Amino acid sequence: MMPDYKHIGRSVPRVDSRARATGEVKFSGDLIFPRMLVGKVLRSPHAHARILNIDTSRAERLRGVKTVVTGRDTAGVKWGVFPYTRDMQMLQIDKARYIGDEVAAVAAVDEDTALEALRLIDVDYEILPGVFTIDEALADDAPLVHEDYPGNRNVEVNIDVGDVDEALEKSHLVRTDTFIAPEDDYFMGEPYAVVVRPDTDGNLEIWCPNAGPHMKSKPLSNVLRLPLNKVKVRKVAIGGAFGGRSEISPADFICSLMALKSGRPVKIVYTREENTTCVRQGHGMVTKHITGMDRDGRVTARSSISYLDGGAYSSTGPIAVSVPFLCHEQTYRLDNARFHGVRVYTNKPVRGMIRIHGRSFAAGVDMQLDMMAEELGLDPVEVRLINARRPGEYTATKSYVGSCGLTECVEKTVERSDFKKKHGKLPPYRGIGLGMNSVQTGFPLGIRGGSQAIIKFNEDGGVTIISGVVDNGQGNDNMLVQIAAEELGLEMTDIELITADTEVTPNDPGSYSMVTTFAGGNAVRLAAADAKRQIFEVAAEKLEANPADLIAADRKVFVKGSPDRGLPLAKVLRMALIQGRPILGQGSFSPKVDHRREWVSNPQGQLSEAFSFGATVCEVDVDPETGLVEVLDVWAAQDCGFAINPMVVEGQFEGSVAMGGQGGMLTEFHSWNDGRCLNTTQLEYKVPLAVDMPPIDPIIVETIDPSGPYGAKEAGMSVAMSAAQAYACAIANAIGCWIKEFPITPDKIVEAIEHKKRGDFDSNG
Amino acid sequence: MSNKAPKVVIELKVNGEEHDILVPPHLTLLEALREKLELTGTKEGCGEGVCGSCTVLMDGRPVRSCLTLAVEAVGHEITTIEGLAGPEGLHRLQDSFVRHGAIQCGFCTPGMILTAKALLDEIPRPGEQEAREAIAANICRCTGYTKIVEAIVAAGGDDDA
Repeated sequence: MMPDYKHIGRSVPRVDSRARATGEVKFSGDLIFPRMLVGKVLRSPHAHARILNIDTSRAERLRGVKTVVTGRDTAGVKWGVFPYTRDMQMLQIDKARYIGDEVAAVAAVDEDTALEALRLIDVDYEILPGVFTIDEALADDAPLVHEDYPGNRNVEVNIDVGDVDEALEKSHLVRTDTFIAPEDDYFMGEPYAVVVRPDTDGNLEIWCPNAGPHMKSKPLSNVLRLPLNKVKVRKVAIGGAFGGRSEISPADFICSLMALKSGRPVKIVYTREENTTCVRQGHGMVTKHITGMDRDGRVTARSSISYLDGGAYSSTGPIAVSVPFLCHEQTYRLDNARFHGVRVYTNKPVRGMIRIHGRSFAAGVDMQLDMMAEELGLDPVEVRLINARRPGEYTATKSYVGSCGLTECVEKTVERSDFKKKHGKLPPYRGIGLGMNSVQTGFPLGIRGGSQAIIKFNEDGGVTIISGVVDNGQGNDNMLVQIAAEELGLEMTDIELITADTEVTPNDPGSYSMVTTFAGGNAVRLAAADAKRQIFEVAAEKLEANPADLIAADRKVFVKGSPDRGLPLAKVLRMALIQGRPILGQGSFSPKVDHRREWVSNPQGQLSEAFSFGATVCEVDVDPETGLVEVLDVWAAQDCGFAINPMVVEGQFEGSVAMGGQGGMLTEFHSWNDGRCLNTTQLEYKVPLAVDMPPIDPIIVETIDPSGPYGAKEAGMSVAMSAAQAYACAIANAIGCWIKEFPITPDKIVEAIEHKKRGDFDSNG
Repeated sequence: MSNKAPKVVIELKVNGEEHDILVPPHLTLLEALREKLELTGTKEGCGEGVCGSCTVLMDGRPVRSCLTLAVEAVGHEITTIEGLAGPEGLHRLQDSFVRHGAIQCGFCTPGMILTAKALLDEIPRPGEQEAREAIAANICRCTGYTKIVEAIVAAGGDDDA
């Protein structure tokens, strides 16, 4: 039976919402400091060009320009997420590798002056031939994006478990299908912005959107060659991340450099176009799945080959290559699995992780299962369930899966949607589809894998939590407050937060591996438990009780079962102060992962201590004349372990359906003219609007993970992924043919329907 | 510098207060609010009138402040998100957004709430579809809009919204 919680497990409004509703909250671009300069970046207009000379003298002479920087002002340090992927300078010296690559920057008294100064910088380029597709990059005589990476092959991951060849040979049915998706994008509300304030002692204070302040400060200290305690990344409101705020941005470095050089605060705010082309994008990806199945629908083996268009630099390349396969091996039982993933350099913007990372891989898996079920005359739900991950099993690469509610997610979405009554029985051009996915709750992150928290009590019984946890908008701050209030028997209003400030707050892995609740939440829970232990020791003496018999509730400490034998918390705290024992709780939590696991060199062992699981069903109506898809209903279920705040979790599900399904499978993709992105703003890149969204039935499944705080795991991303898969399968079900190139836009639907009518649709194509 | 048009002094009435400010004629209302008056609750999401984050009310009607020049706003009553809450606390729309979980990152929220206010001023009890259509040009990337629509309908619907 569920314990009787007072604060957690309840849909309470977020503590940070009021300031966001009034406009009071400050995002990075909102900060204003005396004598602050405006920074602007000069970017390469060429996709691939040698930089022969940069003349900044005319810009420097312009009235109002305070500093101009180029690669010559840097230590030339290359940044990379991994020691073996250090390939990116923050200001290019030798050559530019994509349209938008940073070449120079100015800081001036106002924006008009800064922009005028950019026009006065003369750069001599020698234009080089570029590579703009995976095929071009892999061609025999292709120009090299990085001279030290032959064949433009950036990262390769190879996984081979069991005996795939033999299992495929013995399979009743084998299918080979190739699935394609071009680049997608974050379009977070807030365009990138960074403010840096220097002081005469060489300290830098930095405000910028981030998915982990410690993941900003350390790389910045490396490239700036400054001690870590001088690089102070401060807390600031963050307008969405979705995987796109994970690394340091060249803007952070450039802004720091100009602040140091000018001795004045500098602010750089990206335009929407810069946010699209010069931060990160989702990878373009091609995946071939070769899947074997027995007569009953059991998958016997799968061999997958993926090529990812990574753009000009490595970014999170090794993770990006691996995660599509890893999500899939968590979702489905697989004794014989092979994966060959290759990330390729091109002269295009840099690609990182995104909320529906690897949509062609994931949607391909589920669509192919539907194809094979159809060929064998099997029920698609039964085929999913027979292959679905169960608790207590190991993935192909040897991660133990403790809690797993995947079957329940499938059963609930199928039941609520009436899937079995509808599938194959709907009127023409109506369809229903099911997608399943699983997401990690953290990765092996070495020394950065753990979160620590401090809880400081004031003499009146109020509390300040000090934690490195960052809130990108998903509600992490509120999560910490709910947990601390529960543990300490306080009201949420008794608790204040100091978070995400590298000068003050201890280590935290950041929010981008879906680990915040698991690691940061656990750390705060443990810090609260530690504070409570100290409080009980003080109170026990006065109450003449055993500390183990005390409980904290309603701002009081009392003996369990005897509410009148108690003390107000404030009184205990004053007693503690008089005794010289101020209450300061500490907690630390590091997920149990196999630290020998490495993305490329050793892709086996415990990847994450816990995994979330999701299933989404989607019902669509397709207009065969226009190819337009009307989504009638979506049922989205996820095993998030335990919903600390069901309203927040539902919000994650709903946002995930919008980004993963509605946008990710219907409208969202980048288009190109060689290296030039043709749709850089929301005018041409179609993100879902309020009028586009279908009704969504969010279904929370709780399995109470043994290690998560109160059983909680990741919330939301499994829905984003499974929604994409459900949309793809539903459209196929509606039109009776399999479109394997995503997103499934009206032109593709009309073309597929025409081919089908003519009898020449090639489902093997 | 000689090709720049001379700056002009204008009077802007924002949230009931009058301000004399010196602006170049090409300065947008958005820039004037954020940079001259330090009212940074109004956000720039795209700068080209697509995302709706910069929405403010001009004489009660929603306008894109990134597409409106500051000089065009002279003689009009401008309301920004900072002008919505009163001495008695949050405006009922703000309160409804908070209580319904309609705010995630909050970057679109000021524009969303002001757009919703214009709707409620015209249609005091909007239905779900009316709320959806009213905010159809305000992009939110976090929420999928469900809880925003719920918050708007509830704020119009009954007294305890």
